Amino acid sequence: MAFKKDSVAGTMVFIIILSLVCSFMITGTVEILKERKLAKKREEVQQFVLKAADIDISQGDFSELFAQRVKPKMVNLATGKVTEKANLLDFDERMASINPETSSKPKKDTAKIKTMANDIRIFEVYDTNGQLASIVMPIYGKGLWSIIYGYMAIKPDLNTIENIVFYEHGETPGIADFVTDPQWLALWKGKKLFNEKGKIAIKVIKGGAKDGDIHGIDGVSGATRTGVGIQRLVEFWFGVEGYQTYLHTLAAEGK
Amino acid sequence: MSRAISTREILTSPIMANNPVAIQVLGVCSALAVSNSMQTAFVMTLAVTFVLVFSNLIISSIRNFIPNSVRIIAQMTVIASLVIIVDMVLQDVAYELSKQLSVFVSLIITNCIIMGRAEAFAMKHPPHLAVFDALGNALGYGLILMGVAFIRELLGRGTLFGHNIFTTIENGGWYLANEMFTLPPSAFFLIGVMIWVIKIIQRKRG
Repeated sequence: MAFKKDSVAGTMVFIIILSLVCSFMITGTVEILKERKLAKKREEVQQFVLKAADIDISQGDFSELFAQRVKPKMVNLATGKVTEKANLLDFDERMASINPETSSKPKKDTAKIKTMANDIRIFEVYDTNGQLASIVMPIYGKGLWSIIYGYMAIKPDLNTIENIVFYEHGETPGIADFVTDPQWLALWKGKKLFNEKGKIAIKVIKGGAKDGDIHGIDGVSGATRTGVGIQRLVEFWFGVEGYQTYLHTLAAEGK
Repeated sequence: MSRAISTREILTSPIMANNPVAIQVLGVCSALAVSNSMQTAFVMTLAVTFVLVFSNLIISSIRNFIPNSVRIIAQMTVIASLVIIVDMVLQDVAYELSKQLSVFVSLIITNCIIMGRAEAFAMKHPPHLAVFDALGNALGYGLILMGVAFIRELLGRGTLFGHNIFTTIENGGWYLANEMFTLPPSAFFLIGVMIWVIKIIQRKRG
């Protein structure tokens, strides 16, 4: 039987074959690039964690530095206990935070993230003498338009901010770019997360924080809502729903 | 009629006489958006070349099997698949650059040059001619893109491919960068001037 391309059957057969071939082309490329993409993601995590811990990565091999100085750990947020998990560098946070089996809805979703992972991957960063220098914790939450992703590093006193980085956001270009501006991020260094009563006190202040305010970060005019979003997400992650239980556990252990 | 056109003509005519951007005014959207630096323009040209060559090749080789009623859909499917592949490869090999090109790589799908060549040429000609046609059109597109980017980057930032050519006043040199050239409207003027120049040359040649 000759192939009649303009008949209904011919059209159907052609379209089905074409779709199949094209989909194989795409899935083939995905498969080839998969390993490299994973490796790239691993490197990205390493870079940003080191940056968050305020370690200079401009010289030398950051992967080696990461292996020497950083220890990833899984922490259960509800119990504050460390959970065992293999291959921590390949842990997919985004997947874990939406997979119904590994995530739950926060009770008071002030960071507007809808669902969050039960177990979070944190990083302990050690100095060259093998002493704990800081703990890097992932934080994320809604700004004005988008979810802002970042890492916060806190000193072993579990109160002073070592450094902060944000590595992904979709806020207004040109106006909310301060989120990744090193000058603005430097304002966070040395600020205290909690007040004397142990309540979270960090604030992004519109019009600028007063001199000597140990909890205040300058807000940026034109991007008030982004600033508010960042304050809320920090409050959220260092509050009851976030790392509070873990921090209490650490404090009890006397680290 | 197709016999009358030589391979050479197919390859060279889209570069000047029948330039897709300047004469047919196709694919101007991306030409405006990514022509503010040589690097993005160059990568965009490579991406368009790849998509154009392979879409023309594939469509031309299956042209006798494409049912008339779904030919545009078939062309789009091929083009879209190729663009997705380019996008993924680009994100892999040059992540930072792919961020700068952002949505414009995916928008190659709707670039009229590619659709236009598939429909107007690849559907009616054998594969080897279609590939030459694709190369010619990609060169024509690239020429305009790189030309605009050359002027925009040089006058807008005093650099070429990121290398310093004119030292700007900010860096202690003499050149006052004209920031208008880094903004999209300047590409309108430049492409307009290019169309004008190409038309004058064409008229002189007769």
